[in-house]
Amino acid sequence: MKTVIQRIVRRPLTIVGILLVAFHLTMALAAPLLAPYDPFILIGAPLEPPDATYWLGTDALGRDFLSRLLMGGRISIVAALAAGLIASLVGGLIGLAAAYYRGLFDDIVSRLVEMNLAIPAILFVTLFVTGFGQTLPVLILVISVIKMMGVIRTSRAQGIVLMEMGYVKAARLRGETAASVILRELLPNIADLLAVEFAMRTSSALLLVSALSFLGLGISPPTPDWGLMIHDGLQSIRSEPWLILAPALCVSTLVVGINFAVEGISDALGLEAARGAA
Amino acid sequence: MARPDGEPLVRCDRLSIGYAAASGETVGVVGDVSFTLGRGEALGIVGESGSGKSTLARALLGYLRGGGRFLGGSLAVDGIDVVAASGPALAALRGLKVAMVPQNPLSSLTYHVRVGRQVEEVLVTRRGMTRRQARARTLELFDEMGLPDPAAIATRYPHQLSGGQRQRVVIAAALACDPALLVLDEPTTALDKTTEAQVLDLIATVRRTSGAALVLVTHDLNVVARVCDRTLVMKDGRVVEAGPVAEIFGRPRTGYARELLAAALIIDASRAPGARSSTGPLLGIEGVGFSYAGKTWWKRTPADHAKILDRIDIQIGRGEVLGVIGESGSGKTTLGMLVAGMIAAREGRMQFEGKGLASTVVGRTKDQRRRIQMIFQDPLSSLNPRQTVGTALVRPLQFFFGLDGAAARRRAVELLARLGMGADFLDRYPRQLSGGQQQRIAIARAFAAQPDLLICDEITSALDASVQAQVLEHLLALQRESAAAMMVITHDLSVIWKIAPQVIVLKQGKIVEQGETATVFARPSNPYTAGLLEAATQASRIAAPSVEP
Amino acid sequence: MIGAILRRTGLSLLTLVLLAIYIFLATEVLPGDALDVSLSADEISQMPPAQLAKMKHELGLDRPAYERLGEFLLGAARLDFGRTVMTKARVVDIVAYPLRNSLLLAGTVIVIAFPLSLMLGVAAACRYRRPVDTLVSVGAIIGYSVPEFVTGTVLVMLFAVAWPLFPATITASTSDPALVLLAAAPLAVATIVIGSIAYLTRILRVGMVEALSTDFVERLRLTGIPEWRIVLLHALPAAVIPSLTAMALYAAAMVSGLVVVELVFAYPGLGQELVRAVTRREVHVVQVIALFSASVVVVLNLAADLMILALDPRTRRR
Repeated sequence: MKTVIQRIVRRPLTIVGILLVAFHLTMALAAPLLAPYDPFILIGAPLEPPDATYWLGTDALGRDFLSRLLMGGRISIVAALAAGLIASLVGGLIGLAAAYYRGLFDDIVSRLVEMNLAIPAILFVTLFVTGFGQTLPVLILVISVIKMMGVIRTSRAQGIVLMEMGYVKAARLRGETAASVILRELLPNIADLLAVEFAMRTSSALLLVSALSFLGLGISPPTPDWGLMIHDGLQSIRSEPWLILAPALCVSTLVVGINFAVEGISDALGLEAARGAA
Repeated sequence: MARPDGEPLVRCDRLSIGYAAASGETVGVVGDVSFTLGRGEALGIVGESGSGKSTLARALLGYLRGGGRFLGGSLAVDGIDVVAASGPALAALRGLKVAMVPQNPLSSLTYHVRVGRQVEEVLVTRRGMTRRQARARTLELFDEMGLPDPAAIATRYPHQLSGGQRQRVVIAAALACDPALLVLDEPTTALDKTTEAQVLDLIATVRRTSGAALVLVTHDLNVVARVCDRTLVMKDGRVVEAGPVAEIFGRPRTGYARELLAAALIIDASRAPGARSSTGPLLGIEGVGFSYAGKTWWKRTPADHAKILDRIDIQIGRGEVLGVIGESGSGKTTLGMLVAGMIAAREGRMQFEGKGLASTVVGRTKDQRRRIQMIFQDPLSSLNPRQTVGTALVRPLQFFFGLDGAAARRRAVELLARLGMGADFLDRYPRQLSGGQQQRIAIARAFAAQPDLLICDEITSALDASVQAQVLEHLLALQRESAAAMMVITHDLSVIWKIAPQVIVLKQGKIVEQGETATVFARPSNPYTAGLLEAATQASRIAAPSVEP
Repeated sequence: MIGAILRRTGLSLLTLVLLAIYIFLATEVLPGDALDVSLSADEISQMPPAQLAKMKHELGLDRPAYERLGEFLLGAARLDFGRTVMTKARVVDIVAYPLRNSLLLAGTVIVIAFPLSLMLGVAAACRYRRPVDTLVSVGAIIGYSVPEFVTGTVLVMLFAVAWPLFPATITASTSDPALVLLAAAPLAVATIVIGSIAYLTRILRVGMVEALSTDFVERLRLTGIPEWRIVLLHALPAAVIPSLTAMALYAAAMVSGLVVVELVFAYPGLGQELVRAVTRREVHVVQVIALFSASVVVVLNLAADLMILALDPRTRRR
């Protein structure tokens, strides 16, 4: 453990990544305290330039832009974290179960995973949003299913390796139940892998959520959201470019931060293999 | 063969090599090594893993793996100062003056290029031959290496050749530029014993016909005995003993060399394993066969090894130790898995204590599962890296005997004590233990179930020779005490000689020989068994004459 | 060999059929039928039940789901996807040009991105853990971390607003000739190329690093074979062959990028059509677009499998 931390600390980019993530998480948590105005209320004229009262000016409807910027990551971050968590936990268990049982169950799981990987993420969401409505729970659920496929793949592959280990064989020869073998012998040994998967899937879920909001298929107005704000900013790209640049900077630095951290940490844990996975 | 100036081919003087560790410090791997090698001589460098022997071998080509550097001393090969050599000088050295034959011929050949092309490439780029000349010379080389039908072999890809053929191709590529020195790194470790003998004969022939000097790196004293004149015994990066092979094998001066020699098989009738001592039948196997399932339309299983085991009959009595010998692919590991119940036999039946034994663990009673235990090959994978030794030992005690936490821990401490380990080991994780300690914990875990039959699958093959002996002693002591029967599966004849009074020899899924170990080893009736014994006793043949002064 | 090709092709066909079923279930069965999805809740509540039933009958929606599924699959096999529920336009006509335009955009991106990624990946791997490698690796992480809509918008700000070299949005129309469209879309191409290079370089770099640390590369180095031959003739194929599958899967990620970029630049492709169809609740159009893009990914996966079969002798039988 000590050497892992040492290896993390020696890579400056990993530190940058961790600091960026910490900054964004703190901001998102403290946003209601920090936001100078209510982000939903029209408080001034539309598109006022930045000044002493409205530090970043107002948006096209006359709402305080700084307050909306502060609040704009909260929903996407929560959605992405929830999707990442569901994907890595459920996906990890399904992958291990496939590795444990093999046979028909494994064949079916693998085929379903392969099939789902063939459907582009945005289309997948569109299909379900068309059918089930554009609500946050639907969004989270659909995104976790999409992100789960990659996790199933990696954890299944790792599970198959682990099944050959002497301690797993010993447990099976004792007659331990499937649940016991999976939870005691297999799961703890892919915990670090799943932690990295969780971070990776959260960052890509975040990209997907904001892309969907940008397209008008994700988080709906009037909720403040970075993707939506960039979309709205396109109207005034020539006159008020900061209305785009500020949220663009926020979403980009957050995702870059997560991926820097993931890269450094998975490297330090010796999980080079996890990085090749899509 | 010395040059007029009398300068040896290789002069290595107080050479030290180090690697940059993860912490940033430089860790010494080779320290103060000195030796010389004349033209046409053959030197064996012997040592266990981590002794620095492979690093030294690569240094002869001026090559250190990532992070390595020369720390001191000098190394000259055919007049070239290897330590100071730069790009062009190294280019003149590698392949042309010194050539390397690496350990694993399959991974050392480019898998997507035909083997003929790979040898031609050396001839074209290093000797400036035309394609046509190179092709002709390649076929000549293949012929000299004893490859059948060189023209056909040349068009194959590496994976289409047998292990022995691949090693011949790699040796051909190394000899392409007539080097003065051939460095062989564990050249036969990846091969079967029967193939090993042929490849070693080839190496001896090559030495005679080409006049090249040899440096042969190996952990196996038998290989050195077969090929080399002189030997260098290395431990922890230093030379602990050096001299002519017969002298060192006959009168080893250091304890370490003696340990290495003891690990090699010496058939000495006075030290034969005890006689059969059974008190009644325990396990009976009749006509058991195994093959992998055929193919289904959506999934293809490799069809090239149809029958893994073919009509096997075995009897093991109570408290008896049965050795199972065979090379990789002989089906010996499959046999262990069948008895343990990990896979189901396709045919035949098994009996345990006179009652039918279901083919897989699912069908066996809890008591049967307890009484048949298994220990696995790789010590590191035997134990769950996320569980302490205590958890690993307590689990079977709770599972089989329903002991409560405190009682189970007491029992675990007793087991540890029998294996020469203290109670403080309970809270350690496997990675904090050495390989030998890990394997002793795995033994303790198996004995925790108080088995009547213990299946040991190559349990010492991943361990260094000096540790092997210790683990085997502990195993044998526990076995005698508990009167459990054992089935010891291994390719290492010396292990069988030390602990198994009865032996069976498997080849391609069939039993080709069986009987008392002393008899089988003294007078093998099957040529296959004789070949295995021949390969395993090279070292002792050199050593034997000088045992009596 | 032929058996293996047939087997893989068969599996891909099966995957396609399953995908079609999946798409049908997700849009027409689980949430209600095509009409339920095409109308908003308000519209349904205002409509008299008799009229609703009549409309359903006309559309054939009163038949059991498996019958409609069968019809959908048969139609899909003949590339006939019927007409839209409300406007009665032929679905194939609606998507034909956008499909061509999207394929054009994607093809251009691959032609530019693939060789560049190859060079960057090889360069980084040959300088493993040295400044060039660090630069490429960090660049790649940033490249795939920044969302396409951000990259696109920033490119517009730089090269269309601040320094007006290119048009901000594309003025060409759906049925314009290919070259006219491409000439109008350099910023759109650049946006996806950036993301694609980041992704592909990463895959190739890892593959190349692995290939350069193999035993056969060490043996070649110890034989004194020139480094360029080792890298290009031995390591590069060994890096590309196993990367093909990951690269084919990238197609799925690229489709998502295309959708976004088409919207940013008003490029008349499938992505725009998709968003339009979703907002207008044209179920059949969404189905067709989903099926088409999934088919592209499946076909590319098949192509990758077949290429591996052709290039890696180990996968062929003796």
